[in-house]
Amino acid sequence: MPPAEPVLAAREVTRRFGHRRVLSGVSLELHPGDALLLVGPNGAGKTTLLRVLAGLLRASAGRIERRGCVGMVAHASMLYDALTARENLRFFARLHGGASRGRVDPLLERMGLSAWADERVGAFSRGMTQRLAIARALLPDPDILLLDEPLTGLDDASAEQVLAVLGELRARGRALVIASHQLAELMGVVTAVGFLSLGELKAVESTAGRDVAAITARYREVTGRA
Amino acid sequence: MIREKAEALARRGSLLTAVALLALAGVYLRALMFTPIERFQGPAQKIFYVHAPAAWSGLLAFAVTGLLSVLYLWLRDRKVDLVAAASAEVGLAFSVIMLTTGPIWAKPIWGTWWTWDARLTSTLFIFLLFVGYQVLRGAITDHETRARYSAVIGILGLVLVPFIHMTVYLFRTLHPDPVVMKPGSPSLPGEMLVTLLTSFGVFTLLYLGFLAQRYALAVLRDLKDEEASRAVS
Amino acid sequence: MRDALRAALAIAGKDLAIEWRTKTALVSSVTFAVLVLAVLYFARDPTAVGAVDVAPGALWVTFTFAAMIGLNRAFLLERENRAMDGIRLAPVSPQAVFFGKLAANLVFVGTVELVSLPLFILFYDVPMVRGLPALAGITAMATLAFVAVGTLLSSMVVRTRFAELMLPLLLLPFLVPPVVGAVQATARILADRPLSEVQGWLKLLAAFDIVFVTISTFLFEATLEE
Repeated sequence: MPPAEPVLAAREVTRRFGHRRVLSGVSLELHPGDALLLVGPNGAGKTTLLRVLAGLLRASAGRIERRGCVGMVAHASMLYDALTARENLRFFARLHGGASRGRVDPLLERMGLSAWADERVGAFSRGMTQRLAIARALLPDPDILLLDEPLTGLDDASAEQVLAVLGELRARGRALVIASHQLAELMGVVTAVGFLSLGELKAVESTAGRDVAAITARYREVTGRA
Repeated sequence: MIREKAEALARRGSLLTAVALLALAGVYLRALMFTPIERFQGPAQKIFYVHAPAAWSGLLAFAVTGLLSVLYLWLRDRKVDLVAAASAEVGLAFSVIMLTTGPIWAKPIWGTWWTWDARLTSTLFIFLLFVGYQVLRGAITDHETRARYSAVIGILGLVLVPFIHMTVYLFRTLHPDPVVMKPGSPSLPGEMLVTLLTSFGVFTLLYLGFLAQRYALAVLRDLKDEEASRAVS
Repeated sequence: MRDALRAALAIAGKDLAIEWRTKTALVSSVTFAVLVLAVLYFARDPTAVGAVDVAPGALWVTFTFAAMIGLNRAFLLERENRAMDGIRLAPVSPQAVFFGKLAANLVFVGTVELVSLPLFILFYDVPMVRGLPALAGITAMATLAFVAVGTLLSSMVVRTRFAELMLPLLLLPFLVPPVVGAVQATARILADRPLSEVQGWLKLLAAFDIVFVTISTFLFEATLEE
């Protein structure tokens, strides 16, 4: 069987900020059902890579190919503090149009926020904001979901909830790219791990049949860091 | 490679500037010694040989910035941005000459240092807009963003000039009618005209000389920054 | 086209809902307008210059300066949690985003003008019955002119250092044609003279509106990407 077209591909992507080269020659491919974990020390270019993949940042060189809709959960929530949770989702649903408007309430429910749907986001805890940000990203039922440190600031229960949602998305054939340090928690979700160091994607390897310790050892080997 | 080219450009720019300055001295020799004194304005009119050409070079510089801004948004080439910025800076220098010689000339002729006539006012506002352009550049660190935002201002400025001119024209105008480009026979006597046109040419050369040097400087500074940032990482 | 209109309306509605909820910018702009009107009343020699002589200038200085406060705020909302990224991830054209922001700013500035106009009539004791429709028309034209450019510029300056300082510096040169035109037209209206006397100014205002709304719409995209 010939390999299907990737839903998301980066071809030799380079991004410079001023004279600083934050990404150099990054290439990757994602197919439906792939969940790639990006690991690397701070400043390795994880966030920049996600923003370039999302199309929020222009690549200085190279190409991004996307087939399908992109959702993104970034470090900033992309929500309005003065609006309620429901108003925020309704606003973004109106921008996306189509069926996304019918998903506002089910997503609030799914992320466990129904009880706070009419509270202003400004009063939300970090964990609630993060879950709402995920709900916002899922409004258009994206084919590709990009997540930047999706588990930071979440308590165990919230983290469980988020992991369950991510696992379900992958099972439904969505492609995920997750930048995170929390390898152990995400082991159950991801299918591959990409090692990013100083803007270079050193290797992309399957996680099948490997445990956290093996991958951590490999991480040290590839990036030369603890 | 880039360094050598930039240094060569800087040398050529200095040479051009030197030639232009020499020519400017020649123009003034001619203006003071061999060009007749204007009947109504007297010797004060001599400053006109600097004032008008400086205004021309200033506007030329800003027009180049505006056009290169359009080009930048199309090509996204960093070099285009650097030339546009260099031209804007050179334009500021010429505007200052225009804005200082204007009042010196206006005082004996019109009896007032400053008049809100169309050309002087347009130049003032364009000058202020391009001061803003430089301040904006200074407030952005990322090259790409800086180039993009400057280009937006450059294009807006290009479009704004005729509007400001129209505004002041509608408000009132005191300035003598264009003395050279008037259709029919030029109203300036031949010898003055030759001096003035020569000065226009000299100021254009001066603009090119300054532009080349300023651009070369920007490229060299860029290289230095790049080396510095490489040394850090 | 319909999608663009829907998105623009959603963005404008969202901006106004937030403004209505917080009212910070509206209250400061209106207060500022009242202050400027009152101070400019005293900025003259009462024995030599009648209040009605400075009235047109005072009105327009007030309108433009008060508008600047609102314009400064317009993109701070989007900056706060990087909500603009969320908008950019939705299938919405930059032109639609611009029109949405422009519409919200116009409503904002229009409200400030509507509130300060009766105060202006009261403070400066200007005869203002027959001229009101004409003044409303001139105000609409001049406001559209500087709010269009202001919206474009505020999208840029919000991403720079010293944003509050940069906006007036960059915007003021663009205020010259519309404000001078508006002041001239206002003076004729207050003097009960026919508007045909200021035909040239009306043409200039109309041309400025057409040219700058168009050019700002297309340049807006360049202020968004990173």
